[in-house]
Amino acid sequence: MHQTTVWQKFDFVARRCVPLTITIFLLLFSMVPLHLPGVPSLAPMYTLMAVYFWSIYRPEGFGYGAAFAVGVLEDLLVGTPLGSSALALLICQWLVFNQQKFFSNRPFLEVWLAFAVVTIGTGLVRWFCAGLIGAGGFAPLGDTAGSIVLTIVGYPVIGWLLARAQMKMMSQP
Amino acid sequence: MRQTTGQITRLGTLKTLLQRFAFLSLIALTFALMLIGKADTVLVERARIAITDAVVPILRVLSEPANAIAETIANVRELAAIREQNSSLRDANERLLQWQSIAQRLEAENRSLKALLALVPEPNATFVSARVVGDTGGTFAQSVLITAGSGDGVGKGDVVMTGEGLVGRVLQAGMHSARVLLITDINSRIPVVVGEAGNRAIMVGDNGLRPRLLYVGAKTVVVPGDKITTSGDAEAFPPGLQIGRVARVQDGVVEVEPYMSRDKLQHVRVVNYGLSGILGSPSAALESPK
Repeated sequence: MHQTTVWQKFDFVARRCVPLTITIFLLLFSMVPLHLPGVPSLAPMYTLMAVYFWSIYRPEGFGYGAAFAVGVLEDLLVGTPLGSSALALLICQWLVFNQQKFFSNRPFLEVWLAFAVVTIGTGLVRWFCAGLIGAGGFAPLGDTAGSIVLTIVGYPVIGWLLARAQMKMMSQP
Repeated sequence: MRQTTGQITRLGTLKTLLQRFAFLSLIALTFALMLIGKADTVLVERARIAITDAVVPILRVLSEPANAIAETIANVRELAAIREQNSSLRDANERLLQWQSIAQRLEAENRSLKALLALVPEPNATFVSARVVGDTGGTFAQSVLITAGSGDGVGKGDVVMTGEGLVGRVLQAGMHSARVLLITDINSRIPVVVGEAGNRAIMVGDNGLRPRLLYVGAKTVVVPGDKITTSGDAEAFPPGLQIGRVARVQDGVVEVEPYMSRDKLQHVRVVNYGLSGILGSPSAALESPK
């Protein structure tokens, strides 16, 4: 009986960690070079998509601490000024948490439109922080705009994958 | 019943307060990290190295399928063009044989002239080959992670190249991994020579595909197609390394098209030329303001 309780506790913790684990894997996958010819140097902000998704659909399993940890890990791995991604992700999550009522049972199109607004805001925050703290100064805004567009366009795909992954992992007995 | 509802409301309020406190604390921590990043670059660099060393083995496994697909595509392409390539290689071989005889003659001449001048020889360059397993995207930083580190002889400031041309420099070297700052990164500054005339300039990245030339002399004429090579100034790079060519000159802005193509970066050569110039330590360059 005691053994079952420990196992249940472990299972509970493991399920709570699913969003964070998937987000970290998404970050790692986004770093794998695909060697596709003609792929521009722009890249979508995958972690922003994941943080937005989990903040809406699994807020109990992905709090501020998780968003902060993912942001710091991204800064350390990608080489961006430390704190810039973490700040952008925290702001994204704060915006979602503050509008919980708006997001409950909304159709996807409205969630996507709200994501576009959040992405523009947080993308600019990231660009500004990177320019302000980084030694190289401000990068041309055009590339950040391109990355913002890619992130918005890519959200339905990543959101769908995250939803599938969540259903798969949470439905296990 | 009323008591229970009151308790639930109080719990809800407490949860909201805690959440708000957590958010504000983490925002404060983020700003503290930004300050630490500026003030203690050594500490941050160590953290980056530790994380990179831990993650590169995972990236190595994850990048296998993409590498295998890229290699298969390259093989199929090569097979399709094999006849054409064969005849062009024959022609190239004949030309190179002629060059070989010229090079041998010049080498002998060079040796005798050096002996005449009693020239102290430069230290020989050593190199390590490594695989690229991580690409950091590009919008906010342009660097790649490779599978060789200080344990394999890679050091900070080493020059990274492919057969096509210069790729960048080693920014941080872990035990079995290293981060390479690409020539297109916004922090990259390389002293270069433009064209045949040998005019000096500084090539600066902007996180885009094409770095730009700064400090081109007022009277210098730069036209598209001019070759860009390292100048060897500041002893950060040896002179004469191929970088790219001028792609566009517009309103005084000179854009360079690098020879290295990022999508083909599978294997790189990390070369230690034994240079210890002022740019030898990339973190020193990062610390100093523009």
